[in-house]
Amino acid sequence: MARPSILLAAGIVLTSGTALANPPDTYGFGSRETAMGNAVSAETRGFAANYYNPAALARSRGLELSIGYFRADHSMQMNGRDNAVDPVKGINGGLVVPGRVFSIPLAFGLGLHLPDDRISRVRALRQEQPRWELYDNRNQRLFLAANLAVEPFPWLQVGAGLSFMSSTRGRLDISGAANVLLPDDSQLRHEVDADLTAVRYPQAGIRVALSDDVALAAVYRGEFQLGLDLGAHLSGDITGLTTARYDLETHSVNNFLPQQAVLGGSWKLAKNVTGTFDATWVNWAAYVPPVAQLDVALDIPPPSGGWPATISPPQAPAATRIVPLRMHDRVIPHFGMEWRALATRHFDGFVRGGYEYSRTPIEPQTGLTNYVDRDRHTFSLGLGVTARGLTHVLPADLSLDLHATLSELPEDTTRKANAADFVGDYTARGRIVNLGLSLTVAFDSWGKLTGEEP
Amino acid sequence: MSRLCSLAHVTVVLLALSCATTGAEGEGDRNLPTVGVGPFRKLAPDEVTGIAPFVFDDRVAIYREPAVLAEGQGATILYVVGKPNGKDVIVRTRADDGRAFYGSSSDFGKVPPIVLSADLPWEGPALAGPFALRAPDGVTLYYAAAGGIGVARSSDGITFRKELEPVLVRDPTSAWESTEVHAPTVYVLPDGRFRMFYASGSSIGEAESTDGVHFTRLGPDPVLRPALPAAPGSLLPNEKPPFDTARVGDPCASLRTTPSGRLHIRVLYTGADAAGATAIGFAARFGETGPLERQASPVYSVGAKESAPALLDIGDASYLYVQQDRRVDERLTYTAIAAAYAPGSTHLPTPVAFPDQP
Repeated sequence: MARPSILLAAGIVLTSGTALANPPDTYGFGSRETAMGNAVSAETRGFAANYYNPAALARSRGLELSIGYFRADHSMQMNGRDNAVDPVKGINGGLVVPGRVFSIPLAFGLGLHLPDDRISRVRALRQEQPRWELYDNRNQRLFLAANLAVEPFPWLQVGAGLSFMSSTRGRLDISGAANVLLPDDSQLRHEVDADLTAVRYPQAGIRVALSDDVALAAVYRGEFQLGLDLGAHLSGDITGLTTARYDLETHSVNNFLPQQAVLGGSWKLAKNVTGTFDATWVNWAAYVPPVAQLDVALDIPPPSGGWPATISPPQAPAATRIVPLRMHDRVIPHFGMEWRALATRHFDGFVRGGYEYSRTPIEPQTGLTNYVDRDRHTFSLGLGVTARGLTHVLPADLSLDLHATLSELPEDTTRKANAADFVGDYTARGRIVNLGLSLTVAFDSWGKLTGEEP
Repeated sequence: MSRLCSLAHVTVVLLALSCATTGAEGEGDRNLPTVGVGPFRKLAPDEVTGIAPFVFDDRVAIYREPAVLAEGQGATILYVVGKPNGKDVIVRTRADDGRAFYGSSSDFGKVPPIVLSADLPWEGPALAGPFALRAPDGVTLYYAAAGGIGVARSSDGITFRKELEPVLVRDPTSAWESTEVHAPTVYVLPDGRFRMFYASGSSIGEAESTDGVHFTRLGPDPVLRPALPAAPGSLLPNEKPPFDTARVGDPCASLRTTPSGRLHIRVLYTGADAAGATAIGFAARFGETGPLERQASPVYSVGAKESAPALLDIGDASYLYVQQDRRVDERLTYTAIAAAYAPGSTHLPTPVAFPDQP
């Protein structure tokens, strides 16, 4: 019974069209894990394992459904003034569908972050324009991951899957006649051709339980580049004076997710206290900045008799001389703790905390570009409660987890080498407040609810 | 069934709590840092009274070479060169919004007052290149004339009293001062010393004074020379070569302290290439002395012989006033004062009425 269901669910997801990605890197995924400083590769479970460690999906023994919401508000400032960086907010959720194949436990998982402001945002700014590179645009994404995990031995779980993104290719063709003097008499035809092409990137993880108290984990997340290719072709007649042809092609990498590798562990420090640690290596050195490569051809021959004195013919914009963005690989340490403060027959209560330090990977912006970033210290707290068999209406385990995190990006000053820079020196600092909750319903085993005998 | 219904209810409640009706517009680009010198965009037709981007024009007086001074309550004073009576003099005008200037061609029947005329032996027949500096006791106006750079002072900004001798004249021993010094611009260092940039030949030099009257050169070399031409093959497709390879002049200086605490000397200037095309450039340096570094891109370039920049820095935004050609038709083109604005993404409200007084 379980096998066809798992395969069916997996098949639906793995063959689906497009999806986007990846705010969990910055804001966490699931309130329990976020509250523990994201130091959970060896300790995650449930739907959050779809991001933190696919192998941990196999720890679930029954169907789990989770849904939650979080909102991360930014207070990012340059020269002491707020830059109005958009909040990242939306639904986090997912499911875990466990089963057995040849008596080997396995599970299928699906994780989703669904932002409620925008599914995706495309933004290719001039490289000179200051922007909070890691917070402004690249987190305005939908995240969808599908994974399979297996537990060949009671002490070993292995999992892998795919996350999905979409790159964009678009073309705009306009042709006809434009009447500059009487715009209403213009006759223009336009065609739009846009494709959202699926981009998939892999993730895989392993979890080893060394004992009942100690577990280790390793996770790999692949790299992806979200391309944005846009083209425009305009041709036609201008007020009977002359003709015009304008071809524009742009290419940019609108979103780049570096590959990551995580090593982590969890250790039961006391009967009800678990400590966790993760070290995440992020391959920022491969980063491709979201600057558009512009290729333009403009052909407007002068009318017979030359251009009137009052008209200056337009000129094609110059190609962009892209300045490379130098970034450095970073290892981000995460620390977490979970204390089961309350343990009764029907209720468990948890207190959680965590800390992580993310040193900025971006070199000081002393030149033309202004990819602004600062070191980030994140402190997290959380509470959780799990209720068992409360009612016959919902006789499953019901867990409610809350998290609150505070990220501080201490002030630092960017000093320009060239005094004639248009942006000049600036100070920058930031603060991020992230609040959220997750609700999980966990059933005992596939198709059976808690309290009912199979 | 009831269990599924309960699950569905929980889900619906969470979704309802989390979903807004529509997504918000993306931001993240408010209050971005800038040094306040552009790039500028010329004013749009609905941002001026008259023909955009011109804010002060007269086909007889032919106003040019603006100098700008901020006055209280958002008012702007311009001192410009004009020849209302056939002789180049300096007149004053005023706008309450930086755009509708008293006595412009659209402000019928009003004539900007003449505040300075050539009447000293060393001045010759014409005055040029004014630069206005706010002083504790009024306004100090530097200007150029045939025999060098002079200065005049006023307590009300209208009636000026001149120093009888020029404050700076050409150094005949200088290798680069091939013409009489002109186009003065003055700023005051935090310790009260005066600094002047001036033009001569095809370059810009610098001099210093403790009283604003007696200036001495800071060195034998100019602080800004014309740019070197682009090396063959170094330009990308459609990339423009340097715009100021033949001449730099008309400096307009301003001083600020950067957020990192560095003294920042900003200079807008006119750059010209070998073909005579002009554009407004930006050069600057950190600290009190040394050559100016240039910005490769012009801050204002419209292909209309724009020159003689004057900067009005109003905090989050800046006005740039320049002289440029106003083409009326095939036969009539004259020079007038145009305005540009930065940041370019901001659209200005409709201009206010012309003021009653200059």
